[in-house]
Amino acid sequence: MTTLLVVKQYIKNFISKYEVYLKPLMKLILALASLMMINSKIGYMHRLDNISIVLIVALMCSFMPMNFIIFVAAVFTVLHLYALSLECAAIALVLFLVLFLLYFRFSPKDTLVVLLTPMCFVLKIPYAVPLTMGLIGTPASAISVGCGVIVSYLISYIADSATALSGMDTEDIITKVRYIVDGLLNNKEMLLTIFAFAVTIVIVYLIKRMSINYAWTIAMIAGAIVDVMILLVGDLMFDTNVSIIGIIIGTVFSMLIAKVVEFFAFHVDYSRVEKVQFEDDEYYYYVKAVPKITVATPSKTVKRINTPKKRYSGGQSRR
Amino acid sequence: MINEEKVILMTKMASYEGHEGKKDISITHYFRGDYIGFQVLKSVIAATISFLAVFAVYVLYHFEDFMQDIYKMDLLKFGKSVIILYLCVVGAYGVISYVVFASRYNKARKSLRHYYDNLKKLANMYDK
Repeated sequence: MTTLLVVKQYIKNFISKYEVYLKPLMKLILALASLMMINSKIGYMHRLDNISIVLIVALMCSFMPMNFIIFVAAVFTVLHLYALSLECAAIALVLFLVLFLLYFRFSPKDTLVVLLTPMCFVLKIPYAVPLTMGLIGTPASAISVGCGVIVSYLISYIADSATALSGMDTEDIITKVRYIVDGLLNNKEMLLTIFAFAVTIVIVYLIKRMSINYAWTIAMIAGAIVDVMILLVGDLMFDTNVSIIGIIIGTVFSMLIAKVVEFFAFHVDYSRVEKVQFEDDEYYYYVKAVPKITVATPSKTVKRINTPKKRYSGGQSRR
Repeated sequence: MINEEKVILMTKMASYEGHEGKKDISITHYFRGDYIGFQVLKSVIAATISFLAVFAVYVLYHFEDFMQDIYKMDLLKFGKSVIILYLCVVGAYGVISYVVFASRYNKARKSLRHYYDNLKKLANMYDK
């Protein structure tokens, strides 16, 4: 454990030392990963499905604000869908427009979640999103996560039905629009996922804030159980055909990720809890103080054992 | 000699100035009513555009029904119900943005006041 703590301290020191370079690098990696995922999932526009374009755009993202990545990802998605069919692009555009105009006005901090949620869906660990957002976010994060879930289901729905869409008559605009809107709105699995994730976030948040020992871990486990239960009960009720084993394995992985987040964000020693009581003129205070676990990184001392070079005296000859 | 208290105070203030402070100062440049009014106006415009976009998709979805019933349906009644729905959506969104931006303004004022208090404290330290 001490080694882990030392490693954590090293990582923290490293990040704070090289933050200026690491921030653009992280943005670059995030932009690169998200754009490549979009290209692999719905790469219908061949001109965009080109590693050099992705690299250039990702490099551009690394010097722009974080929200620019989301904008670029939205543009990429709409362009790819435009290559598939105009109607898909129009519906995706409306969805992004509503997201950007109505929701992002309020919560510029949470917007990254809308990008990370579909990425986690591709990586098969979507359950990590509500767990970590419950731990480090607020209940309002449920809306961001919900938006992310809608975006990822829209993309995967269109990707799955691409052959059906391209087989339809180009003139038949209305049929295509109906096909996409019906597929999105009648997708019970999506609605169930949004509900499950929202409940999970609220539960994790509420338990995390309780004044009990190991609140974060309990919150994580309770959130994971509630998430799995809702998804399974929903599967029985609405016949959503979700893979039970996939949910359980994904949740276990997600809990591991949440545990890592906890290790970095909130690591305290519950064995040294102190409870104190005192009062002033207006209040009684029941204070529970939990000490943070900290270790000092072992500092390296360089001891010079070589003696300084002797100067040759004038009488000695050099060889 | 380095005055530790002064350094801590100045660091805190500098970090505030660099991050939230910038936003807070730009917010409190407005009068409260002006700021909230401007933000609500922006929200109303955003809500109008979104409503139009969603309505366009709705019309496209029901295009065939509209074409069939265009002569039978009461267009005035339909228009009225659309306008009422629009007003409800924009009204609700406007109220939400009023609440959010009013609280944001208050928060900005509060933290800026705290910043000015610290500034005064710092000035007193120099006077000593």
